Amino acid sequence: MSHHHDPEFRLNRPEFNELHKKLDRRNFLLKSTLGLGALATGSLLFGKSFSGNKGVSLAQTSSQAEQDILRALPHFAPKAKRIVYLFMSGGPSQFETFDYKPELLRLAGQNLPDSVRKGQRLTGMSASQSILPMAPSIYKFNQCGKSQTWVSELLPHTAKVVDDLCIIKSLYTEAINHDPAITFFQTGNQLPGRPSIGSWISYGLGSDNVNLPTFIVLVSKNAPRDQPLYARLWGNGFLPSKHQGVQFRSGKDPVLFLNNPEGYDGANRKEMLEYLTKLNQLQNDTYNDPEIESRIAQYEMAYRMQTSVPGVVDVSDEPDEVFDLYGPGSRDAGTYAANCILARRLLEKDVKFVQLYHQGWDQHGGLPKGIARQCQDTDQATAALITDLKRRGLLEDTLVVWGGEFGRTVYSQGKLTADDYGRDHHPRCFTMWIAGAGIKSGFSFGETDDFSYNIAKDPVHVHDFQATLLHLMGVDHEQLVYKFQGRRFRLTDVLGKVVNEILV
Amino acid sequence: MILLDIFTFLGRLHPLIIHLPIGFLLLAIIFDGISYHKKYGYLIRAVPFTLLIGFASAAAACVLGFMLSFTGDYDDQILNNHKFSGISLTLTAGILYVMTTTAFRKIISMPRALFSGLSIATLFLLGYTGHQGASLTHGNNYISLETLMRQERAKPTQVEEAMIFEDVVHPVLEQRCAQCHQAGKKKGRLSMESMATMLKGGKHGPAVVPGNLTESELFQRIALDPSHEDFMPADGKTPLTKTETELIRWWIEKAMAVEGKKISELKDYQAIRLLAASSLGLGGKPHAALGSLTGQKINENIPDTLEMTLVENLRKKGLVVRLMSQKPAMLDVTLPPGSGKTMDDIVNELKPVSRNIIWLNLSGNGFTENDLGILKLMSNMEKLRLEKNPISDGISNHLVGLNYLEAVNLNETKITTACVSRLRQNPAIKRIYTWKSRVDNLNNLLD
Repeated sequence: MSHHHDPEFRLNRPEFNELHKKLDRRNFLLKSTLGLGALATGSLLFGKSFSGNKGVSLAQTSSQAEQDILRALPHFAPKAKRIVYLFMSGGPSQFETFDYKPELLRLAGQNLPDSVRKGQRLTGMSASQSILPMAPSIYKFNQCGKSQTWVSELLPHTAKVVDDLCIIKSLYTEAINHDPAITFFQTGNQLPGRPSIGSWISYGLGSDNVNLPTFIVLVSKNAPRDQPLYARLWGNGFLPSKHQGVQFRSGKDPVLFLNNPEGYDGANRKEMLEYLTKLNQLQNDTYNDPEIESRIAQYEMAYRMQTSVPGVVDVSDEPDEVFDLYGPGSRDAGTYAANCILARRLLEKDVKFVQLYHQGWDQHGGLPKGIARQCQDTDQATAALITDLKRRGLLEDTLVVWGGEFGRTVYSQGKLTADDYGRDHHPRCFTMWIAGAGIKSGFSFGETDDFSYNIAKDPVHVHDFQATLLHLMGVDHEQLVYKFQGRRFRLTDVLGKVVNEILV
Repeated sequence: MILLDIFTFLGRLHPLIIHLPIGFLLLAIIFDGISYHKKYGYLIRAVPFTLLIGFASAAAACVLGFMLSFTGDYDDQILNNHKFSGISLTLTAGILYVMTTTAFRKIISMPRALFSGLSIATLFLLGYTGHQGASLTHGNNYISLETLMRQERAKPTQVEEAMIFEDVVHPVLEQRCAQCHQAGKKKGRLSMESMATMLKGGKHGPAVVPGNLTESELFQRIALDPSHEDFMPADGKTPLTKTETELIRWWIEKAMAVEGKKISELKDYQAIRLLAASSLGLGGKPHAALGSLTGQKINENIPDTLEMTLVENLRKKGLVVRLMSQKPAMLDVTLPPGSGKTMDDIVNELKPVSRNIIWLNLSGNGFTENDLGILKLMSNMEKLRLEKNPISDGISNHLVGLNYLEAVNLNETKITTACVSRLRQNPAIKRIYTWKSRVDNLNNLLD
């Protein structure tokens, strides 16, 4: 290709001059009000006339404040440097997994006592039921591992690694429906628009591998799509867009729009990108808009990913033993098991936040069959991920998180029969587990009452969970803030306490 | 209530404005006095005007002061004294001014000495009013003979000898709280003057309940989020430091809020020793002290600071360096696998930071134990990753002397069981990873 870009820029062309002079309404107001204020302060402080002295623009001052916030990080020595978050979307039932309630066998079929429900509003799906029959798990529980932790027979593989887990049985949330609850878990707010946990971590701690995104998302293809997922769940919200989660897909295009178009050999890609960067830089010099910097960074990242991504998603160098460990489906790219292998590969490359989503845990009816299938699809690979990370020494500084957005009710939604029942959404208590760096292993925290309806001991709010996650990464959740629309935002809003009891 | 806010705002200007009448009236009296001297005789003509602006500013200060009197929980007695003496002073200034006018002189002729005498009497009124005002703002004993005569408690030289309340806790409370909570100015009817007044508490109950943090209003308020409405110290005054909060927490919860006891007389005082020492300025790093209390062990051998250029030098050589903690300066250093670097390329950059390296990852870079002698210098290292290197048993020689080394990853190396047994001689090492090495069993997690 000819080098028609020389001489580099003809800056005196009318288009460029127009761009430099352009002052839209927002910029005008900004410069004429805050700008003048800054000028006045500047001249007060330094005793200089403000002619010729450019005032501090708002963009500069706010980025200064931002720099100060980021420079203070980490707030204390981290225990973990990576997180893999296995999000079980739909709300897995605590009754058939980890929260063993033998007392329910005696109470099966009886109406949920009002003294337990305490007038809680139910969802529209079960509020009109004349009876709320209590349903024990039809699956048995066994005491497993040295810690003698009760685990359901549906999770035989997880049971084997239970001594590496810290099971929290007393999580609770504020939302009762899927989207607000997932959004709350991922962003700290029920309404869309805030940054996801991974984005906060990317913003606060930056990248340890310049060739891959800091925040990568993998969604299982072998799961019922009973409740939708939206890309905003891994969105950057108001943070610069380079912090958004990047979804890797199975198949020919692991990352959308990353491959070169057909018929283009990519030989002059680098030259083209360099020229584009200069153009963007020019725009940036005028506007100082952080989104332009983000765009520049993203083009560069995409270019590097053209080389790095094919290598990391190609699992052909994994020995058979690994596929056997992760179980059936692990050779089929895009399944939960395959995603677990991919997650491990990404963690090995020091990707800071990998999030897997596995849908299909929303069993309002036909729960016994449904949850058995869900467990079968995920149990072996989840346990394999723990085993694999542990033997490779990666559990030293990696956190593994497993859990959904809320729990399920003790009573059956719909008819309770000997071998079938359903469970409605239940935000008041549910179970999650965390494993790895800085977390007590073979440990259970929190207790629910005999009905797993209310928390009996040590409640852990979603914000507490988020605060703990950040804490383990070396971040004080109260200090990591971003100013937007005139106020400072945090992942944990104005709440959240680190759960010190589960930390080593 | 906007109106109330304006009242508060203007009221707070009182302590500022008040200095104008003090200055003007003093100046008028000085002018009057000094004009007896021939050289300054002409100054007598400046007295009426100076008195006039003195009167005007005093009147303004009265109005502002009146507004201020609504906002604080001031001692009624002192407040009334101050109010009436302030108003009297203003009126006196006005009368003095009137006496200087020609209209007045036409009616009553007054000897000059009498006027000067009145002026000097005014000076005493000014002093009295000012003193009352200072007592309101800064406390009853702010300027008093007592303060002059008071013997400072001798500063303890040994933490063990220090009194927990008198030397450690109370000075903190006096510094942070007493401006508003003392005998002269009991905001919320609370005074921090003594143990007794704290036990008595204020309008929300006792400030301190021995052994009970949740009932202790004092602790509850200082432990709130600073943005909380009830947070103390209020109005953006400097919050207590974490050390101070933790000291108070311990004193209330563990030491049952005792007074008159030496630290060494308390049960489990070791837990608080470092923290108290750092608060008394008797050595001890505050962050290490805090760590000892919250159960986080912080290794005091790690250098506190680090030249950022040293970190930049490492980065220039292609190492990934993460700052794990600012103070002490802890580093997590990774040489990306397959970097193609030899130890000679990077050893000069690693050496100066060797005591700062806490986590180190040199995996997959073709190193043998002969390359890795530098590990001996990394005396504070906690986690070491050496997997996927052609390393043999000799590596253990570098690692047995590392007192903080907790986890070693020797997966996919050539080490044998002999290396593991040698490493086990280092009691610090908790976990050794030997997957795919020549060690027989799968892994050697000692936990």
